[in-house]
Amino acid sequence: MEATTTYLRHDMDALVDAFAAREPAGLEGAYALWSRELYAVARSALRDGALAEDCVHDALLRVWRAPNRFEGNRPMLRAYLLASVRNEAIAMLRSRSRRDERERKARRLAEAPVDADSVADPVEAARVRDALGRLSQDQRTALEAAFYGYKTHVEIAAALGVPLGTIKSRIASAMRKLSVELAPPESGR
Amino acid sequence: MTGEHLGDEAELFALGALEDAERSAAARHVALCAACRERVAAAELVMASLAAAVPAAEPPASIGRRLRASARGGRPRNAGPFALAATVALAFVGLGSQTLLLSNREAAEDRALATIVSSHFNHVSAVARGDSGVSAKVLYARDGAWIFVIARTHESGTLHAFARTPTADVDLGALATSGETASLLVRPAKPIGTVVIKRGDTEVATATLNY
Repeated sequence: MEATTTYLRHDMDALVDAFAAREPAGLEGAYALWSRELYAVARSALRDGALAEDCVHDALLRVWRAPNRFEGNRPMLRAYLLASVRNEAIAMLRSRSRRDERERKARRLAEAPVDADSVADPVEAARVRDALGRLSQDQRTALEAAFYGYKTHVEIAAALGVPLGTIKSRIASAMRKLSVELAPPESGR
Repeated sequence: MTGEHLGDEAELFALGALEDAERSAAARHVALCAACRERVAAAELVMASLAAAVPAAEPPASIGRRLRASARGGRPRNAGPFALAATVALAFVGLGSQTLLLSNREAAEDRALATIVSSHFNHVSAVARGDSGVSAKVLYARDGAWIFVIARTHESGTLHAFARTPTADVDLGALATSGETASLLVRPAKPIGTVVIKRGDTEVATATLNY
């Protein structure tokens, strides 16, 4: 499932260099490696195959044409691309929901799809489930509403009846705790 | 905002959980502040893990085609191997001019293309090694029944494709050269995970196949 593990280090460096240099091979190589994850993120947010396709295409093309924050964090290209697709999906969701306020109100607060039959990466999903289980219930609820529910902190605070600052700190502290617990194999670079 | 660090907003920015105005301000700060960029990047690594739990979904092949066309200026036609890959792809949507191109290929390639056209396949660009000057692509059946290696090179010297196994690189055969491009159709006994292209003993490109 995780294609990067079968890639030799210098292959990855060549790919990352090609991506940063805006060579078509960098974009194509990155997409070939991570297409399933990138698409799953967009599909999960947008729940529509055609929108998800546009989302992945537009997001990757944009960051490939203008890689900016990514320059200093080359080993993290995958995470950056996933975040870029997710941001694009969120922008699409919010512009759609502005057009249809009722739909927005009808949507549930958060839905952590960790019980889905088939997840994008079952091994990593199990680690994530364990790590989420070690957060406080308040932290977990707030973080899941943000990550899996695509809500802003204002929306989450309103839904839970909790002050804005409290929600911000719950989400941020949950993320920092997960960052330690989920320290990825590539950390330390 | 641009004068002080983001604090908790770094994680919220990464998550897309800020409101529009806050988000713009945070983006301006992140563009200028290395410390906050690092914090956002750390959050993105966590998010990459969280993303493992979203439902699996098979991406349509059209995304890869669109990306390639966009990256190469909207008309994937100039580079030899990519033109061939694009030809195969476009043949599926029934463009008459592309179908004509197919009929001009040599016999070996005709057989390869007949195999490809009658099956579902994935494709991946090989990562070139150093300054080998070789661009290559591997089309492969989703069930692993065949792989089609296409390479473009400006240098002489026969290219061979190898299947990388834990113990050795297994020679799959020489790529047949025709002008600037060379290609090889292989029907392996079991699916191949990594294809390595070599000129002599020198590795010039590598591709990882996902089934």
